[in-house]
Amino acid sequence: MRLEKCWFCSSTIYPGHGIQFVRNDAKIFRFCRSKCHKNFKMKRNPRKVKWTKAYRRLHGKDMTQDSTFEFERKRNRPQRYDRINTEKVLQAIPKISKVKATRQKDHITKRLSVGRVNRRTEDRRELEQSISLVKAPSVLKEDATLTLPKQKVTVSYAQTENTPMEE
Amino acid sequence: MIQPQTMLNVADNSGARKLMCIRIIGASNQRYAQIGNVIVAVIKEAVPNMSLEKSEVIRAVVVRTRKELKREDGMIIKYDDNAAVIIDQKGNPKGSRIFGAITEELRKFRFTKILSLAPDVL
Repeated sequence: MRLEKCWFCSSTIYPGHGIQFVRNDAKIFRFCRSKCHKNFKMKRNPRKVKWTKAYRRLHGKDMTQDSTFEFERKRNRPQRYDRINTEKVLQAIPKISKVKATRQKDHITKRLSVGRVNRRTEDRRELEQSISLVKAPSVLKEDATLTLPKQKVTVSYAQTENTPMEE
Repeated sequence: MIQPQTMLNVADNSGARKLMCIRIIGASNQRYAQIGNVIVAVIKEAVPNMSLEKSEVIRAVVVRTRKELKREDGMIIKYDDNAAVIIDQKGNPKGSRIFGAITEELRKFRFTKILSLAPDVL
C-alpha cells in the first residue's frame, strides 16, 4: 500500500479513493477526487489553478525548500526490514510532521505580516488625517484630549501579535 | 465494456492494427467484455506483408478499456483507449512484443506469457 499524491492538487490519495488514468504512453495520472479528474479532462494546467499546491508553491505562497521535505522523498531502493529502525521511524513521524506544520504556518504568517503592518500604518494615518470626519475641528481645539495621542511604536513581529488595537 | 462492433487497437506486433469485436467468449448471454475476457474479432486494418491479413477472424484478449476497472481494494484504473492482444486457441500471444501497460488482472485469467512480455505491469 502506498499513499500517492494527486496529480492535480497534490493532496494524498488514501486507499479506496480516486481514479487512476493510464495514458497510452503508460504515464499514470492519479486523482484524489472527481474535481481534480474533471479539471484534468478540461486540460487545465494545475500551475494556473489557484487552489492547487502546484500554483501555491510556484507563486511562493507555500514553503518550497525545507529539510523536512527530505524525509518524504521517494526512494527507489528497497530497504531490508529492521524492527528497531521501523519503530524509530514510527516515533519520529509525528515529530517531523509537527515541525513541518509549524514551519509552513510560520512561512505564511511571515508572508502576511507585511500586509498587517501596512494596514496598521494606513489605519493610523487615516485616523490622523480624517479625524475631522468624526470630531469637529472646533471641538478638537477646545479639548486636546479628544485627539489621537501620538505615540512612537516600534513595530516588530512579536509585538503586533500581542498589543491590542490602540484607539 | 467491449461489445460486438467495438473497434479495438492491437497492443502487440502480430501484424494487425485494428480489430472489430464480433463475439465475447465465455457466457452465452454476456453483453460486455472487460479486461481479461477473450473475444472473437475480425481484423479491420493490418500491416502489409505479415502473417495476419485484413478480414481474418481471430481471437484476442482485451487488455485495455476506456471503461474503468474496479479492484477489490478500491483502486479504479482506466485507460485512454480499448486494446487487445491477439492470441491463439491455447492463450499464447501471436506477437512477440506487447505495447503499453498491462494490469495484473490478466494473471487471474492465466495469461502469464502476456504479462511476462509486457513492458509495464500495473
